[in-house]
Amino acid sequence: MAQMREDVRERWALAAFTIAFFVFLIAPILVVVAVSFTSVSYVSFPIQGFSLRWFWRIVEYRPFLDALGVTIQVAFLSTAVAVLIGVPAALGLVRSRGASAEVAMTFLLSPLSMPMIVLGLALLFYLSALGLGISLISLVIAHAVIGLPYVVRTVAGVYRGVSPDLEESATMLGANRWQVLRHVTLPQIRPGIFAGALFSILISVDNLPISFFFGSPSTNTLPVVMLSYLEHQFDPSIAALSTVQMVLALAGLLVIERFYGLRHLGAPT
Amino acid sequence: MPSLLFLAAFFIAPLFVILEMSFQEGRLPVEGAGVFQNYQRLFADTFYLGVIAETVGLSVVVTLVSVLMGYPVAYFMVRHASGRSYDLIVFLLIAPLLTSIIMRTFGWQVLLARRGLINEALMMLNLIERPLGLLNSPLAIVVGLVHVLVPFMVLSIASVLQGIDRRLEESARILGAGKLQTFLRVTFPLSIDGVGTGAILVFMLANGSFVTLLLLGGGTLQTLPLLIYQQFNTTRDFPFAATMSNALLVLAVCCLYAQLRLIRRRGV
Repeated sequence: MAQMREDVRERWALAAFTIAFFVFLIAPILVVVAVSFTSVSYVSFPIQGFSLRWFWRIVEYRPFLDALGVTIQVAFLSTAVAVLIGVPAALGLVRSRGASAEVAMTFLLSPLSMPMIVLGLALLFYLSALGLGISLISLVIAHAVIGLPYVVRTVAGVYRGVSPDLEESATMLGANRWQVLRHVTLPQIRPGIFAGALFSILISVDNLPISFFFGSPSTNTLPVVMLSYLEHQFDPSIAALSTVQMVLALAGLLVIERFYGLRHLGAPT
Repeated sequence: MPSLLFLAAFFIAPLFVILEMSFQEGRLPVEGAGVFQNYQRLFADTFYLGVIAETVGLSVVVTLVSVLMGYPVAYFMVRHASGRSYDLIVFLLIAPLLTSIIMRTFGWQVLLARRGLINEALMMLNLIERPLGLLNSPLAIVVGLVHVLVPFMVLSIASVLQGIDRRLEESARILGAGKLQTFLRVTFPLSIDGVGTGAILVFMLANGSFVTLLLLGGGTLQTLPLLIYQQFNTTRDFPFAATMSNALLVLAVCCLYAQLRLIRRRGV
Protein backbone atom coordinates (compact mmCIF):
# COMPACT_ATOMS: atom_id res chain seq x y z
CA MET A 1 0.00 0.00 0.00
CA ALA A 2 2.72 2.42 1.02
CA GLN A 3 4.68 1.47 -2.06
CA MET A 4 1.74 2.15 -4.32
CA ARG A 5 1.31 5.61 -2.83
CA GLU A 6 5.01 6.20 -3.39
CA ASP A 7 4.66 5.15 -7.02
CA VAL A 8 1.76 7.52 -7.54
CA ARG A 9 3.73 10.36 -6.00
CA GLU A 10 6.72 9.61 -8.24
CA ARG A 11 4.47 9.51 -11.26
CA TRP A 12 2.92 12.89 -10.51
CA ALA A 13 6.23 14.54 -9.70
CA LEU A 14 7.69 13.30 -12.98
CA ALA A 15 4.58 14.35 -14.89
CA ALA A 16 4.78 17.86 -13.42
CA PHE A 17 8.47 18.09 -14.29
CA THR A 18 7.79 16.88 -17.83
CA ILE A 19 5.05 19.47 -18.31
CA ALA A 20 7.36 22.24 -17.03
CA PHE A 21 10.04 20.96 -19.39
CA PHE A 22 7.77 21.24 -22.38
CA VAL A 23 6.63 24.71 -21.35
CA PHE A 24 10.32 25.66 -21.42
CA LEU A 25 10.75 23.97 -24.79
CA ILE A 26 7.66 25.38 -26.49
CA ALA A 27 7.27 28.84 -24.88
CA PRO A 28 9.96 30.69 -26.88
CA ILE A 29 8.44 29.32 -30.07
CA LEU A 30 4.87 30.31 -29.19
CA VAL A 31 6.10 33.76 -28.18
CA VAL A 32 7.54 34.29 -31.66
CA VAL A 33 4.33 33.11 -33.31
CA ALA A 34 2.36 35.57 -31.13
CA VAL A 35 4.70 38.46 -31.91
CA SER A 36 4.31 37.92 -35.64
CA PHE A 37 0.64 38.97 -35.42
CA THR A 38 1.25 42.25 -33.60
CA SER A 39 0.15 45.50 -35.21
CA VAL A 40 2.91 47.69 -33.77
CA SER A 41 6.49 47.99 -34.98
CA TYR A 42 8.14 46.99 -31.72
CA VAL A 43 8.09 43.78 -29.75
CA SER A 44 5.97 44.00 -26.62
CA PHE A 45 3.66 42.02 -24.38
CA PRO A 46 0.79 41.59 -24.27
CA ILE A 47 0.47 41.74 -28.03
CA GLN A 48 -0.96 45.05 -29.14
CA GLY A 49 -3.64 44.72 -31.77
CA PHE A 50 -3.79 42.08 -34.41
CA SER A 51 -2.56 42.43 -37.94
CA LEU A 52 -0.93 40.61 -40.78
CA ARG A 53 1.27 43.57 -41.75
CA TRP A 54 4.48 41.77 -40.81
CA PHE A 55 3.62 38.93 -43.14
CA TRP A 56 3.24 41.51 -45.90
CA ARG A 57 6.61 42.94 -44.96
CA ILE A 58 8.19 39.57 -45.87
CA VAL A 59 6.88 39.95 -49.40
CA GLU A 60 7.81 43.63 -49.63
CA TYR A 61 11.34 43.45 -48.27
CA ARG A 62 13.37 42.51 -51.30
CA PRO A 63 16.32 40.71 -49.59
CA PHE A 64 13.90 38.29 -47.89
CA LEU A 65 12.33 37.25 -51.17
CA ASP A 66 15.65 36.97 -52.98
CA ALA A 67 17.05 34.89 -50.14
CA LEU A 68 13.99 32.65 -50.17
CA GLY A 69 14.65 31.87 -53.83
CA VAL A 70 18.30 31.03 -53.12
CA THR A 71 17.35 28.93 -50.09
CA ILE A 72 14.85 26.81 -52.04
CA GLN A 73 17.23 26.26 -54.95
CA VAL A 74 20.12 25.29 -52.68
CA ALA A 75 17.95 22.99 -50.55
CA PHE A 76 16.55 21.04 -53.49
CA LEU A 77 19.73 20.86 -55.57
CA SER A 78 21.94 19.82 -52.64
CA THR A 79 19.38 17.21 -51.61
CA ALA A 80 19.28 15.86 -55.16
CA VAL A 81 23.08 15.44 -55.05
CA ALA A 82 22.94 13.85 -51.60
CA VAL A 83 20.25 11.36 -52.67
CA LEU A 84 21.97 10.47 -55.95
CA ILE A 85 25.26 9.58 -54.29
CA GLY A 86 23.95 8.64 -50.84
CA VAL A 87 21.36 6.00 -51.73
CA PRO A 88 23.75 3.72 -53.69
CA ALA A 89 26.27 4.01 -50.84
CA ALA A 90 23.68 3.09 -48.20
CA LEU A 91 22.45 0.11 -50.25
CA GLY A 92 25.97 -1.14 -50.89
CA LEU A 93 27.17 -0.81 -47.31
CA VAL A 94 24.17 -2.37 -45.60
CA ARG A 95 24.53 -5.64 -47.52
CA SER A 96 28.30 -5.88 -47.26
CA ARG A 97 30.02 -7.16 -44.14
CA GLY A 98 33.44 -6.59 -42.72
CA ALA A 99 35.51 -3.87 -41.21
CA SER A 100 35.90 -1.81 -44.38
CA ALA A 101 32.14 -1.38 -44.78
CA GLU A 102 31.93 -0.27 -41.17
CA VAL A 103 34.73 2.24 -41.66
CA ALA A 104 33.11 3.56 -44.83
CA MET A 105 29.79 4.00 -43.03
CA THR A 106 31.45 5.88 -40.17
CA PHE A 107 33.19 8.07 -42.72
CA LEU A 108 29.94 8.85 -44.54
CA LEU A 109 28.29 9.89 -41.27
CA SER A 110 31.27 11.84 -39.96
CA PRO A 111 30.31 15.27 -41.37
CA LEU A 112 27.56 15.20 -38.73
CA SER A 113 30.19 15.43 -36.01
CA MET A 114 32.20 18.29 -37.47
CA PRO A 115 31.61 21.79 -36.17
CA MET A 116 29.84 23.38 -39.13
CA ILE A 117 31.70 26.63 -38.77
CA VAL A 118 34.97 24.74 -39.36
CA LEU A 119 33.50 23.01 -42.39
CA GLY A 120 32.20 26.32 -43.75
CA LEU A 121 35.53 28.09 -43.42
CA ALA A 122 37.42 25.14 -44.92
CA LEU A 123 35.04 24.78 -47.86
CA LEU A 124 35.15 28.49 -48.60
CA PHE A 125 38.94 28.50 -48.97
CA TYR A 126 38.99 25.21 -50.80
CA LEU A 127 36.24 26.04 -53.30
CA SER A 128 37.73 29.49 -53.86
CA ALA A 129 41.04 27.85 -54.71
CA LEU A 130 39.15 25.63 -57.18
CA GLY A 131 37.72 28.77 -58.77
CA LEU A 132 34.14 28.22 -57.62
CA GLY A 133 34.33 30.85 -54.89
CA ILE A 134 31.16 32.39 -53.58
CA SER A 135 28.54 30.94 -55.89
CA LEU A 136 25.38 28.92 -55.94
CA ILE A 137 27.37 25.83 -56.97
CA SER A 138 29.61 26.19 -53.93
CA LEU A 139 26.58 26.46 -51.67
CA VAL A 140 25.02 23.37 -53.25
CA ILE A 141 28.23 21.35 -52.76
CA ALA A 142 28.63 22.50 -49.16
CA HIS A 143 25.02 21.69 -48.30
CA ALA A 144 25.27 18.31 -50.03
CA VAL A 145 28.17 17.42 -47.69
CA ILE A 146 25.97 17.95 -44.63
CA GLY A 147 22.83 16.49 -46.23
CA LEU A 148 24.55 13.27 -47.29
CA PRO A 149 24.85 11.72 -43.79
CA TYR A 150 21.12 12.20 -43.20
CA VAL A 151 20.22 10.47 -46.45
CA VAL A 152 22.69 7.61 -45.85
CA ARG A 153 21.56 7.08 -42.26
CA THR A 154 17.83 7.05 -42.99
CA VAL A 155 18.08 4.88 -46.10
CA ALA A 156 20.48 2.45 -44.37
CA GLY A 157 18.10 2.30 -41.40
CA VAL A 158 15.16 1.30 -43.60
CA TYR A 159 17.17 -1.06 -45.81
CA ARG A 160 18.54 -2.92 -42.77
CA GLY A 161 14.97 -3.83 -41.89
CA VAL A 162 14.28 -5.19 -45.38
CA SER A 163 14.79 -8.92 -45.66
CA PRO A 164 17.08 -9.95 -48.55
CA ASP A 165 14.72 -12.83 -49.35
CA LEU A 166 12.68 -10.91 -51.91
CA GLU A 167 15.79 -9.72 -53.72
CA GLU A 168 17.21 -13.25 -53.76
CA SER A 169 13.93 -14.69 -55.07
CA ALA A 170 13.84 -12.10 -57.85
CA THR A 171 17.41 -12.94 -58.81
CA MET A 172 16.65 -16.67 -58.84
CA LEU A 173 13.63 -16.02 -61.03
CA GLY A 174 15.97 -14.47 -63.57
CA ALA A 175 15.82 -10.73 -62.88
CA ASN A 176 19.06 -8.88 -63.55
CA ARG A 177 20.61 -6.53 -61.00
CA TRP A 178 19.01 -3.46 -62.51
CA GLN A 179 15.55 -5.07 -62.52
CA VAL A 180 15.95 -6.18 -58.91
CA LEU A 181 16.92 -2.66 -57.90
CA ARG A 182 14.15 -1.03 -59.89
CA HIS A 183 11.26 -3.38 -59.05
CA VAL A 184 12.18 -4.92 -55.70
CA THR A 185 14.64 -2.81 -53.72
CA LEU A 186 13.61 0.75 -54.55
CA PRO A 187 9.89 0.31 -53.84
CA GLN A 188 10.80 -1.06 -50.40
CA ILE A 189 13.20 1.70 -49.42
CA ARG A 190 11.18 4.56 -50.88
CA PRO A 191 10.00 5.81 -47.45
CA GLY A 192 13.63 5.99 -46.32
CA ILE A 193 14.73 7.95 -49.38
CA PHE A 194 11.80 10.25 -48.94
CA ALA A 195 12.44 10.88 -45.24
CA GLY A 196 16.19 11.29 -45.76
CA ALA A 197 15.59 13.82 -48.53
CA LEU A 198 13.18 15.75 -46.34
CA PHE A 199 15.72 15.86 -43.51
CA SER A 200 18.37 17.02 -45.93
CA ILE A 201 16.07 19.82 -47.16
CA LEU A 202 15.19 20.91 -43.64
CA ILE A 203 18.85 20.90 -42.56
CA SER A 204 19.81 22.95 -45.60
CA VAL A 205 17.04 25.50 -45.13
CA ASP A 206 18.04 26.12 -41.51
CA ASN A 207 21.80 26.11 -42.05
CA LEU A 208 23.61 29.22 -40.97
CA PRO A 209 27.21 28.33 -40.00
CA ILE A 210 28.08 27.22 -43.53
CA SER A 211 25.82 29.50 -45.53
CA PHE A 212 27.12 32.72 -44.05
CA PHE A 213 30.63 32.06 -45.40
CA PHE A 214 29.17 32.01 -48.90
CA GLY A 215 27.09 35.14 -48.41
CA SER A 216 26.70 37.74 -51.14
CA PRO A 217 23.64 39.62 -52.43
CA SER A 218 23.00 36.84 -54.93
CA THR A 219 23.86 33.88 -52.67
CA ASN A 220 22.49 34.92 -49.27
CA THR A 221 20.19 32.27 -47.85
CA LEU A 222 17.26 33.11 -45.62
CA PRO A 223 18.99 32.48 -42.26
CA VAL A 224 21.93 34.66 -43.32
CA VAL A 225 19.65 37.56 -44.23
CA MET A 226 17.63 37.05 -41.05
CA LEU A 227 20.75 37.06 -38.88
CA SER A 228 22.10 40.28 -40.35
CA TYR A 229 18.61 41.82 -40.09
CA LEU A 230 18.45 40.79 -36.40
CA GLU A 231 21.88 42.22 -35.70
CA HIS A 232 20.72 45.65 -36.85
CA GLN A 233 17.05 45.88 -36.02
CA PHE A 234 14.54 44.14 -33.84
CA ASP A 235 11.10 44.19 -35.40
CA PRO A 236 8.34 41.59 -35.77
CA SER A 237 9.07 40.80 -39.42
CA ILE A 238 11.64 38.21 -38.29
CA ALA A 239 8.90 36.67 -36.16
CA ALA A 240 6.52 36.51 -39.11
CA LEU A 241 9.14 34.96 -41.35
CA SER A 242 10.05 32.41 -38.67
CA THR A 243 6.39 31.51 -38.25
CA VAL A 244 5.98 30.87 -41.97
CA GLN A 245 9.13 28.73 -41.96
CA MET A 246 7.91 26.76 -38.97
CA VAL A 247 4.54 26.03 -40.54
CA LEU A 248 6.30 24.71 -43.65
CA ALA A 249 8.71 22.59 -41.58
CA LEU A 250 5.86 21.20 -39.47
CA ALA A 251 4.06 20.23 -42.64
CA GLY A 252 7.27 18.41 -43.61
CA LEU A 253 7.37 16.66 -40.23
CA LEU A 254 3.79 15.46 -40.66
CA VAL A 255 4.70 14.10 -44.08
CA ILE A 256 7.69 12.24 -42.58
CA GLU A 257 5.42 10.87 -39.87
CA ARG A 258 2.99 9.55 -42.48
CA PHE A 259 5.59 7.87 -44.63
CA TYR A 260 8.17 6.86 -42.09
CA GLY A 261 6.93 7.17 -38.52
CA LEU A 262 8.60 9.36 -35.92
CA ARG A 263 9.35 6.44 -33.63
CA HIS A 264 12.01 5.23 -36.07
CA LEU A 265 14.02 8.41 -35.65
CA GLY A 266 14.98 7.38 -32.14
CA ALA A 267 18.37 8.20 -30.77
CA PRO A 268 20.83 9.97 -33.01
CA THR A 269 23.54 7.33 -32.90
CA MET B 1 31.72 4.59 -54.60
CA PRO B 2 30.88 8.13 -55.72
CA SER B 3 29.83 9.28 -52.27
CA LEU B 4 33.22 8.38 -50.78
CA LEU B 5 34.94 10.31 -53.56
CA PHE B 6 32.58 13.23 -53.02
CA LEU B 7 33.40 13.38 -49.31
CA ALA B 8 37.12 12.95 -49.98
CA ALA B 9 36.99 15.89 -52.40
CA PHE B 10 34.68 18.23 -50.51
CA PHE B 11 35.07 17.24 -46.87
CA ILE B 12 38.56 15.84 -46.24
CA ALA B 13 40.49 17.92 -48.79
CA PRO B 14 39.11 21.25 -47.46
CA LEU B 15 40.21 20.28 -43.96
CA PHE B 16 43.76 19.85 -45.27
CA VAL B 17 43.51 23.25 -46.93
CA ILE B 18 42.84 24.99 -43.63
CA LEU B 19 45.50 22.90 -41.96
CA GLU B 20 47.96 24.24 -44.52
CA MET B 21 46.57 27.75 -44.15
CA SER B 22 47.06 27.71 -40.39
CA PHE B 23 50.81 27.47 -40.99
CA GLN B 24 50.86 30.69 -43.03
CA GLU B 25 51.76 34.06 -41.62
CA GLY B 26 48.83 35.76 -39.93
CA ARG B 27 48.06 39.42 -39.36
CA LEU B 28 50.43 39.68 -36.44
CA PRO B 29 53.52 37.84 -37.68
CA VAL B 30 56.04 36.93 -35.04
CA GLU B 31 59.64 37.41 -36.19
CA GLY B 32 61.40 34.10 -36.68
CA ALA B 33 58.63 32.08 -35.07
CA GLY B 34 58.32 29.67 -37.98
CA VAL B 35 55.33 27.77 -39.24
CA PHE B 36 53.79 27.20 -35.84
CA GLN B 37 53.52 30.89 -35.02
CA ASN B 38 49.71 30.95 -35.14
CA TYR B 39 49.61 28.03 -32.75
CA GLN B 40 52.12 29.75 -30.50
CA ARG B 41 49.87 32.80 -30.49
CA LEU B 42 46.82 30.69 -29.69
CA PHE B 43 48.37 28.67 -26.89
CA ALA B 44 50.71 31.25 -25.36
CA ASP B 45 48.29 34.16 -25.06
CA THR B 46 46.25 34.03 -21.87
CA PHE B 47 43.33 35.65 -23.70
CA TYR B 48 43.08 32.82 -26.18
CA LEU B 49 43.68 30.20 -23.51
CA GLY B 50 40.75 31.80 -21.70
CA VAL B 51 38.68 31.52 -24.87
CA ILE B 52 39.44 27.81 -25.16
CA ALA B 53 38.61 27.34 -21.48
CA GLU B 54 35.33 29.23 -21.92
CA THR B 55 34.43 27.16 -25.00
CA VAL B 56 34.94 23.88 -23.14
CA GLY B 57 33.51 25.20 -19.86
CA LEU B 58 30.32 26.42 -21.50
CA SER B 59 29.85 23.07 -23.24
CA VAL B 60 30.37 21.21 -19.95
CA VAL B 61 27.77 23.35 -18.18
CA VAL B 62 25.28 22.99 -21.03
CA THR B 63 25.84 19.22 -21.06
CA LEU B 64 25.33 18.87 -17.29
CA VAL B 65 22.16 20.98 -17.31
CA SER B 66 20.87 18.94 -20.25
CA VAL B 67 21.43 15.66 -18.38
CA LEU B 68 19.70 16.98 -15.25
CA MET B 69 16.73 18.30 -17.22
CA GLY B 70 16.57 15.53 -19.78
CA TYR B 71 16.83 12.45 -17.58
CA PRO B 72 13.54 12.85 -15.68
CA VAL B 73 11.71 13.57 -18.94
CA ALA B 74 13.20 10.50 -20.63
CA TYR B 75 12.32 8.42 -17.54
CA PHE B 76 8.74 9.65 -17.51
CA MET B 77 8.44 9.10 -21.23
CA VAL B 78 9.62 5.48 -21.11
CA ARG B 79 8.14 4.36 -17.80
CA HIS B 80 4.91 6.28 -17.38
CA ALA B 81 3.73 7.63 -20.72
CA SER B 82 1.69 5.26 -22.79
CA GLY B 83 0.30 5.23 -26.28
CA ARG B 84 -0.90 8.67 -27.25
CA SER B 85 0.95 10.62 -24.59
CA TYR B 86 4.17 8.88 -25.66
CA ASP B 87 3.58 9.91 -29.26
CA LEU B 88 2.79 13.45 -28.14
CA ILE B 89 6.06 13.64 -26.20
CA VAL B 90 8.06 12.42 -29.20
CA PHE B 91 6.31 14.96 -31.39
CA LEU B 92 6.94 17.81 -28.91
CA LEU B 93 10.61 16.80 -28.67
CA ILE B 94 11.14 16.73 -32.41
CA ALA B 95 8.97 19.68 -33.46
CA PRO B 96 11.32 22.34 -31.96
CA LEU B 97 14.23 20.75 -33.83
CA LEU B 98 12.51 21.81 -37.01
CA THR B 99 12.08 25.47 -36.09
CA SER B 100 14.95 27.64 -37.20
CA ILE B 101 17.74 28.46 -34.80
CA ILE B 102 16.98 32.14 -35.52
CA MET B 103 13.39 31.67 -34.39
CA ARG B 104 14.31 30.10 -31.08
CA THR B 105 16.98 32.67 -30.35
CA PHE B 106 14.56 35.45 -31.24
CA GLY B 107 12.03 33.90 -28.87
CA TRP B 108 14.51 33.99 -26.00
CA GLN B 109 15.39 37.58 -26.85
CA VAL B 110 11.72 38.47 -26.48
CA LEU B 111 11.37 36.51 -23.23
CA LEU B 112 14.58 37.72 -21.58
CA ALA B 113 14.65 41.37 -22.70
CA ARG B 114 14.59 44.17 -20.12
CA ARG B 115 10.92 44.75 -20.89
CA GLY B 116 10.43 41.15 -21.91
CA LEU B 117 7.84 38.67 -20.76
CA ILE B 118 9.81 37.28 -17.82
CA ASN B 119 10.80 40.64 -16.36
CA GLU B 120 7.27 42.03 -16.78
CA ALA B 121 5.76 38.98 -15.11
CA LEU B 122 8.19 39.10 -12.18
CA MET B 123 7.50 42.82 -11.71
CA MET B 124 3.76 42.30 -11.85
CA LEU B 125 4.09 39.69 -9.10
CA ASN B 126 6.15 42.21 -7.14
CA LEU B 127 9.01 39.76 -6.90
CA ILE B 128 11.48 42.30 -8.28
CA GLU B 129 11.43 46.09 -8.40
CA ARG B 130 13.60 46.73 -11.40
CA PRO B 131 13.99 44.60 -14.50
CA LEU B 132 16.82 42.07 -14.30
CA GLY B 133 19.53 42.14 -16.92
CA LEU B 134 18.80 38.64 -18.15
CA LEU B 135 19.72 39.12 -21.79
CA ASN B 136 23.35 39.45 -22.86
CA SER B 137 24.62 37.25 -20.08
CA PRO B 138 26.19 33.80 -19.75
CA LEU B 139 22.87 32.68 -18.23
CA ALA B 140 21.02 33.61 -21.42
CA ILE B 141 23.59 31.67 -23.45
CA VAL B 142 23.19 28.54 -21.33
CA VAL B 143 19.39 28.78 -21.47
CA GLY B 144 19.44 29.26 -25.24
CA LEU B 145 21.86 26.37 -25.84
CA VAL B 146 20.10 23.96 -23.48
CA HIS B 147 16.85 24.80 -25.22
CA VAL B 148 18.32 23.84 -28.58
CA LEU B 149 20.20 20.74 -27.45
CA VAL B 150 18.24 19.06 -24.65
CA PRO B 151 15.88 17.16 -27.01
CA PHE B 152 18.88 15.16 -28.26
CA MET B 153 19.69 14.24 -24.67
CA VAL B 154 16.14 13.08 -23.91
CA LEU B 155 16.01 10.93 -27.07
CA SER B 156 19.42 9.35 -26.34
CA ILE B 157 18.57 8.48 -22.74
CA ALA B 158 15.07 7.26 -23.61
CA SER B 159 16.36 4.85 -26.24
CA VAL B 160 18.61 3.15 -23.66
CA LEU B 161 16.05 3.21 -20.82
CA GLN B 162 13.67 1.40 -23.14
CA GLY B 163 16.01 -1.58 -23.35
CA ILE B 164 16.55 -2.06 -19.61
CA ASP B 165 15.24 -5.35 -18.29
CA ARG B 166 12.81 -4.28 -15.58
CA ARG B 167 13.14 -7.61 -13.78
CA LEU B 168 16.55 -6.40 -12.57
CA GLU B 169 14.85 -3.51 -10.80
CA GLU B 170 12.17 -5.75 -9.39
CA SER B 171 14.81 -8.14 -8.06
CA ALA B 172 16.57 -5.25 -6.34
CA ARG B 173 13.29 -4.18 -4.75
CA ILE B 174 12.47 -7.71 -3.60
CA LEU B 175 15.94 -8.00 -2.10
CA GLY B 176 15.08 -4.98 0.03
CA ALA B 177 16.54 -2.01 -1.83
CA GLY B 178 14.59 1.21 -1.53
CA LYS B 179 13.20 3.06 -4.48
CA LEU B 180 16.02 5.62 -4.58
CA GLN B 181 18.67 2.98 -3.95
CA THR B 182 17.29 0.87 -6.79
CA PHE B 183 17.46 3.84 -9.10
CA LEU B 184 21.00 4.83 -8.10
CA ARG B 185 22.42 1.31 -7.99
CA VAL B 186 20.52 -0.40 -10.82
CA THR B 187 18.59 1.84 -13.20
CA PHE B 188 21.03 4.72 -13.53
CA PRO B 189 24.15 2.57 -14.06
CA LEU B 190 22.29 0.56 -16.70
CA SER B 191 21.33 3.75 -18.53
CA ILE B 192 24.76 5.34 -18.40
CA ASP B 193 25.46 4.56 -22.06
CA GLY B 194 22.46 6.64 -23.09
CA VAL B 195 23.59 9.49 -20.88
CA GLY B 196 27.06 9.18 -22.42
CA THR B 197 25.79 9.16 -26.00
CA GLY B 198 23.61 12.18 -25.34
CA ALA B 199 26.35 14.00 -23.42
CA ILE B 200 28.91 13.59 -26.21
CA LEU B 201 26.39 14.76 -28.79
CA VAL B 202 25.31 17.79 -26.77
CA PHE B 203 28.91 18.65 -25.87
CA MET B 204 29.94 18.42 -29.51
CA LEU B 205 27.08 20.58 -30.76
CA ALA B 206 27.57 23.14 -27.97
CA ASN B 207 31.25 23.42 -28.89
CA GLY B 208 30.43 24.46 -32.42
CA SER B 209 27.53 26.82 -31.84
CA PHE B 210 27.80 30.54 -32.33
CA VAL B 211 24.39 31.99 -33.29
CA THR B 212 23.12 31.66 -29.72
CA LEU B 213 26.26 33.30 -28.34
CA LEU B 214 26.10 36.07 -30.89
CA LEU B 215 22.48 37.02 -30.25
CA LEU B 216 21.98 36.16 -26.57
CA GLY B 217 25.47 36.59 -25.14
CA GLY B 218 26.25 40.18 -26.04
CA GLY B 219 29.96 39.45 -25.87
CA THR B 220 29.91 38.23 -22.26
CA LEU B 221 31.42 34.91 -23.29
CA GLN B 222 34.09 34.52 -25.96
CA THR B 223 34.29 31.08 -27.51
CA LEU B 224 36.22 29.67 -30.45
CA PRO B 225 33.31 29.62 -32.95
CA LEU B 226 32.37 33.19 -32.03
CA LEU B 227 35.94 34.33 -32.51
CA ILE B 228 36.21 32.50 -35.83
CA TYR B 229 33.06 34.30 -36.95
CA GLN B 230 34.50 37.64 -35.86
CA GLN B 231 37.92 36.96 -37.36
CA PHE B 232 36.19 36.20 -40.63
CA ASN B 233 33.77 39.14 -40.55
CA THR B 234 35.89 41.94 -39.17
CA THR B 235 39.59 41.21 -38.60
CA ARG B 236 39.86 38.98 -41.69
CA ASP B 237 42.94 37.26 -40.29
CA PHE B 238 42.31 34.03 -42.18
CA PRO B 239 45.40 32.06 -41.10
CA PHE B 240 44.53 32.70 -37.46
CA ALA B 241 40.87 31.81 -38.09
CA ALA B 242 42.13 28.58 -39.66
CA THR B 243 44.26 27.91 -36.57
CA MET B 244 41.27 28.33 -34.27
CA SER B 245 39.22 26.10 -36.57
CA ASN B 246 41.81 23.38 -36.18
CA ALA B 247 41.73 23.69 -32.40
CA LEU B 248 37.95 23.26 -32.58
CA LEU B 249 38.39 20.37 -34.98
CA VAL B 250 40.69 18.56 -32.55
CA LEU B 251 38.01 18.87 -29.87
CA ALA B 252 35.44 17.48 -32.32
CA VAL B 253 37.65 14.55 -33.29
CA CYS B 254 38.11 13.67 -29.61
CA CYS B 255 34.33 13.66 -29.22
CA LEU B 256 33.89 11.55 -32.35
CA TYR B 257 36.41 9.05 -31.02
CA ALA B 258 34.59 8.85 -27.68
CA GLN B 259 31.31 8.40 -29.54
CA LEU B 260 32.65 5.52 -31.63
CA ARG B 261 34.05 3.79 -28.55
CA LEU B 262 30.69 4.08 -26.87
CA ILE B 263 28.75 2.80 -29.89
CA ARG B 264 31.09 -0.16 -30.19
CA ARG B 265 30.66 -0.96 -26.50
CA ARG B 266 26.90 -0.92 -26.89
CA GLY B 267 27.29 -3.22 -29.83
CA VAL B 268 24.84 -1.26 -31.96
